[in-house]
Amino acid sequence: MHVLIFGCNQMTANLVPDLAQDDLTVTVLSRDRECLAQVAGEPGVSVILTVEPMMQDYLQQGGIDSADIFLAMANNDHENALAAQVAYHIFNVPKVVCHLTDPQLQILYSGLGLQVVGYSFGLLQDIRQAIEK
Amino acid sequence: MYIVIVGCSEVGYHLTKALLASGHEVVVVEKRSERCHLLSDESGIITVQGDGTDERTLRKSGIIRADVLVAVVGRDETNLVICQMAKHIFQVPRTMALVKDPKNEPIFHVLGVDVVVNAIHQILASFEEGVPGQPLIHLMNLRIQGMELVSVSVPDEAAIVGKRLREIELPPGSFISLVVKKDGAELPSDSLVLEPEDELVAVTRTGQEQVLYDILTGVP
Repeated sequence: MHVLIFGCNQMTANLVPDLAQDDLTVTVLSRDRECLAQVAGEPGVSVILTVEPMMQDYLQQGGIDSADIFLAMANNDHENALAAQVAYHIFNVPKVVCHLTDPQLQILYSGLGLQVVGYSFGLLQDIRQAIEK
Repeated sequence: MYIVIVGCSEVGYHLTKALLASGHEVVVVEKRSERCHLLSDESGIITVQGDGTDERTLRKSGIIRADVLVAVVGRDETNLVICQMAKHIFQVPRTMALVKDPKNEPIFHVLGVDVVVNAIHQILASFEEGVPGQPLIHLMNLRIQGMELVSVSVPDEAAIVGKRLREIELPPGSFISLVVKKDGAELPSDSLVLEPEDELVAVTRTGQEQVLYDILTGVP
C-alpha cells in the first residue's frame, strides 16, 4: 500500500512513523525542508521537496497515479481542498483524507463528499459547552 | 447583471472598471483596505473589506442575489474554494475563476466552475497568433476533459490544397468544425475544396495537436 502525504508539519511528523511501522510505503511532499529531513529517516519513507506547492507534477512524481491513500495535511486549508479534490476526482485515489481548520470549510467539503478531519469544529462546540457549564 | 468580484489586484481592478462601464452592478470583496478605498473613491462602488473565503464576508457582498461570482485572487486554490462556496452555499448561478497553473484547469471544470480563465493559455494563444511561424492557435479548452478547439491556417504549399474535406484523414477524435474562407465562414461539407489561407477551426484531443497540424499543413 502506498500513502502519499501532501504537506509536512508537526502532525505529519507524528503520523509518518506510525504509518511506516504498518509496512506502508510513504511519500511526503512539502516545501518545508527541515520537516522533510525529520521524517526522511523512517524506513519505507521517501520525501520530495516542492518548490511551488500546487504543481501537479509533484503529485505524479510522488506516485499519485498508484496511491492507495492520499492525505492532504498542509498548513493551508485552500491548498488541502484543491490537492484532495485533484487526488479524488482526477487521479481516483481510493481513500482521500483532507485536513481543514476552518469549520465553514469543514462543513462545505464534508457535504461535497470528502473525508474531512480537523478538530476545530468539535473544539468550538467544546468551548461553548465549557462556557455553559 | 449583479456581479460579485473577489480579489482586487490588477485583474480584479481593471475587470471591475470594465464591467461597470458596460452597465453592470458590481461589488468587490478584497482583503486589503487600501485597494478597497482606491476603487470606492474612484468609482463610487461598494467594496467589502474582508476575506473572500469567509462566509459572513461573502454574505455582506450581497452574494445571495448575485448572477455571477468572479474569483480573481492571486492563488488558484483560493479561487477554487471561493467558487465552490458561491455555488454550494449561496447557489450563485454562474461562477468564474482565474487559473495560473494550466494543470489546475481540468479540476476546476470537473468541480463545476462554469468559466475557467487560464492566463497562460490566453498569453500562449496571443503569442501563437502574433508570432509568424506558429500557425496552430489554441482557441479554448472544451469542458470535456482532454478536448480542445484549435485553428490552423492552410499554407500555400500544403498537400491538402485542392482536396475535398472527405479526402483528408484526420486523427481519431479530431474534426473540422468550421472553414473560414476569404469571403466568409462555411460549415464543413464533404465536398468543400480547401484553398491556400483557409482558416480551419478544429476540435481535437489534447496531445493530438501536432498530428493534426502535420496533416493540415504538411507539404507533399
